[in-house]
Amino acid sequence: MTSASSVNKRLLPMVATSVIAVAVLATGLLVTGCSKSNADKPAPRYADGSVRLDREPGEKGYWDMPSATSLVEEGVTVATDTRGKLANLADAEKVAPFQPWSLALFKFRQENDLADDPMKVCIGPGSPRQMMTPGGVRILQDKNYNRVYLIFGGGNRNWRVIYMDGRTPPSPDEVTGTFLGNAVGKWEGDTLTAESIGFNTRFWFSNSGLPHTEALKLTERFTRMSHEVLEYEVTIDDPRTYTRAWKAKWTLKWVPGDIEEQFCEDGRE
Amino acid sequence: MRKLLLGGLLVGVWLTGSWLFPVVAFAQEGFPLDGTWRGEHAAAKGAPTTVVVIMQWDGKQVTGTINPGPNGIEFTGATLDPDGWKVHVAAKDAKGKDVILEGVVSDLGKYSRVITGKWTEGGQTHDIRFVRE
Repeated sequence: MTSASSVNKRLLPMVATSVIAVAVLATGLLVTGCSKSNADKPAPRYADGSVRLDREPGEKGYWDMPSATSLVEEGVTVATDTRGKLANLADAEKVAPFQPWSLALFKFRQENDLADDPMKVCIGPGSPRQMMTPGGVRILQDKNYNRVYLIFGGGNRNWRVIYMDGRTPPSPDEVTGTFLGNAVGKWEGDTLTAESIGFNTRFWFSNSGLPHTEALKLTERFTRMSHEVLEYEVTIDDPRTYTRAWKAKWTLKWVPGDIEEQFCEDGRE
Repeated sequence: MRKLLLGGLLVGVWLTGSWLFPVVAFAQEGFPLDGTWRGEHAAAKGAPTTVVVIMQWDGKQVTGTINPGPNGIEFTGATLDPDGWKVHVAAKDAKGKDVILEGVVSDLGKYSRVITGKWTEGGQTHDIRFVRE
């Protein structure tokens, strides 16, 4: 007994230490596993298998925290501040394939410290700019009417619609240009693709002041890479302003909660 | 009652103006020459002559019309030099004489931007100032 008791006394600390170690290890694995599963959780889907770009039932969240703060051609690196102001004006010509007049106008807007930005008088940002304007966006799929609605928290709390019913987009020459254009969309696999034409020229589609004309055509691709990440790609095609079509791409993060209420008041940022 | 109506009208006008003004003051558009421009030059005997010019950019050239209507004349050539925003417009009147505008765009950031320069028509050259409508 004495001998057994002595063994127990010697074993007890070892067992206790092992239990604690296993517990710590298990907790660590559990925490790591949880974060990993959140990050790697696949994009949610409807019963028909199509990807949900918005919330699952019972969930609250929206897209925000864009990975880019200014629109620059894919593959180009230039330093800008969060307002889209270039750190070095000499980088202007790298931002996009400008025609001479549009490069000069872009430089003018930059040198003018973006003072003429239409958003300063509550004119909404153009579609790509909206996807990087802080405040968030939700992408609502209306399966009854075959439409997708984008509801924006930033800017002047706007919304736009993408028609998914197979309609033919109108001829740009036959529509009165609007701020958000006419958008028709379709699914290419798990990617929502939208083509928009029929814009007016009274807005900026980037915070940096990239010019455009009424010939602007946007092709946007929305891909939910996982539960947490939305990839947004836009191709800008405006042959009156740029020497060729060009694209940019960035991601947005899924943010739990609701879009906060904010309104633009005329004359204030 | 009449005073009330007048007061209401004034408030309405003020409200409309307060909504419209900032847009007119700040909004700007794409190609700087696109749109309708109205200008005046002083003719030889002092009476101002109004000129209306419509310009558009198709991505390669500026086209347009001077004084659109039955007597309107089409541009034979037009350019915008972004280096200094210099404008050159050429046309021929009904008698085949040169009509020429040489000017500079200013207030580039405004919707109602301005072209100031020289207008040559009928063999005479005048100062002219166009404002975009």
